Amino acid sequence: MSTEENCILSVENLQVSFRTDEGEFPILRGLSYTLPTGRILAVVGESGSGKTVHALALLRLLPPAAHITGGKVIYQGKDIVHLTKKELRNIRGGKISMIFQDPSASLNPVLTIGEQLTETILAHKKITKQVAQKQAAALLEKVGIRESEKRLQEYPFQFSGGMCQRVMIAMALALKPDVLIADEPTTALDVTIQAQILRLMRDLQKESGMSAIFITHNLAVVAGVADEVLVLYGGLCMEQAEVNELFASPLHPYTQGLLKSLVSVDKKKDRLPAIEGQPPIPSEIGKGCPFAPRCTQALPICFEQCPPLTVKGTHRVRCWLQEGK
Amino acid sequence: MNPIEIKHLSKTYIRRPFLGKRTEKKVLQDVSLTLKEGRVLGLVGESGCGKSTLCKVLLGIEPFSAGEVWINGKNRNHLSRAERKDLCRQMQVVFQDPYSSLDPRMNVYQLLSEPLAIHGLYPNKQERKNFLRKLLEAVGLSVSFFPRYPHEFSGGQRQRICIARALALNPRILLADEPVSALDVSVQAQILNLIKKIKEERNLSVLFVTHDFAVARFLCDDIAVMHDGQIVECAPAEELFTHAVHPYTQKLLRAVPKPNPALRDTWLASAREENV
Repeated sequence: MSTEENCILSVENLQVSFRTDEGEFPILRGLSYTLPTGRILAVVGESGSGKTVHALALLRLLPPAAHITGGKVIYQGKDIVHLTKKELRNIRGGKISMIFQDPSASLNPVLTIGEQLTETILAHKKITKQVAQKQAAALLEKVGIRESEKRLQEYPFQFSGGMCQRVMIAMALALKPDVLIADEPTTALDVTIQAQILRLMRDLQKESGMSAIFITHNLAVVAGVADEVLVLYGGLCMEQAEVNELFASPLHPYTQGLLKSLVSVDKKKDRLPAIEGQPPIPSEIGKGCPFAPRCTQALPICFEQCPPLTVKGTHRVRCWLQEGK
Repeated sequence: MNPIEIKHLSKTYIRRPFLGKRTEKKVLQDVSLTLKEGRVLGLVGESGCGKSTLCKVLLGIEPFSAGEVWINGKNRNHLSRAERKDLCRQMQVVFQDPYSSLDPRMNVYQLLSEPLAIHGLYPNKQERKNFLRKLLEAVGLSVSFFPRYPHEFSGGQRQRICIARALALNPRILLADEPVSALDVSVQAQILNLIKKIKEERNLSVLFVTHDFAVARFLCDDIAVMHDGQIVECAPAEELFTHAVHPYTQKLLRAVPKPNPALRDTWLASAREENV
């Protein structure tokens, strides 16, 4: 893992719980990782794994029913979990920015693209409106939108889904953030547009040296953009490794199962070796390993006690099968 | 006799605003397609290309402007009331979103027995129950599900219920409109296996609508690629994947992300900036 100096963000034992009528239940059950400067970390998980909650928790954007019950998010020596509202305002958008899944729902339909872009810039910088306008136009050009001066006057409904996501990226990059968090940025888009957007994000990330956290459920997309992968299941990190490592030799049975069950456009398979069962509902996870009920190699201990996250070579993995190997 | 035969089908949406000009939008243009007996025909295209509209036209939910639709050797537009009802028995559908396609106020037994009641099948209560039990088991669910309601199930389980409901009338044709795109990755594989198994067991002819080439390759025997309301290429699956002819098909195939980090650079390079 990375040392203190070259890591931009570090998450230590982050825990988030949801309050419901039936009581309180944990959705993120102690997540720790470090984000190395200039790298893209992909967080992979299914619905209910806590991947989106984790992203929202990083910027303290959680819905009212959820709250952080423990852990730290260290950015530039400060713990985001305990920042004041004013300090948080500076970080949100300015230092760490975020892109959401549905681009057309993230833009305000009654304001022009230009107004929304300059609003972001003016909120953080003391410059005139004219200068901000110029910067906004330059940003649009950068994300590949031509005739930017004219398009700044247009409204979101005049843009396609892919174009809206480009605008969101422009907005997220407007203040040259250190970290970009992208929550399923291409899930709502077509494959051809997806490839364009991912390429754009990777190019911009390389150019600016920014770090990124990329949240997705699509392993093929992970293979296309990430440097490092963290697999979430039932609110816990199951495995983390460098991208080539993870695809070549996954250690956790869940990661192995996911990779085996993928359909491929390059070869025809007769039957898919699927993982049986359903992803767990967060309120129903017992004391053992959350994957144990679906695991074909589960041992008696897997149902009794949750395995620790241990370092195995270049991997971090949470599985009893790997303990003592 | 092919289960589905579409000849030169066109559909135009006409807008007549209160003020302003009448505008026409062609959503299907001269579409000809054949679904052969016991085969899976994949209809692949990006959003807005008209693939779901085509599904709706086949089901009779939407009218069409020109052309002919033949189902089981009968012209869809020249059917008597009784023949239309019979067509429902022969052709069933599974939709994309398993959350909105099950009535939340009906339990599983009611959901599955409704089509039987409409068509007057298995009037004997015990026989009906036995039949539905076998049906549930065929889609990998147990009999304990009968008294439960849709909200108690996960997406994958709901999609299994939808598939069971579609199979209740023992149809010859199954329309599947993106049946796995709303499901979790680890559940997608289960449902795809299930559709494949059922298709083989019952010798179903399936029209499988999807935007995902990888899914199409797994399941389909023939593939039609749709773009802007037109079929741009139609070929047996293996041929299409090895020798795609149309530039649009080639472009789509290149854009599909590959789950292999070693292929990253070629994939990203394929996304040349176009039409921005």
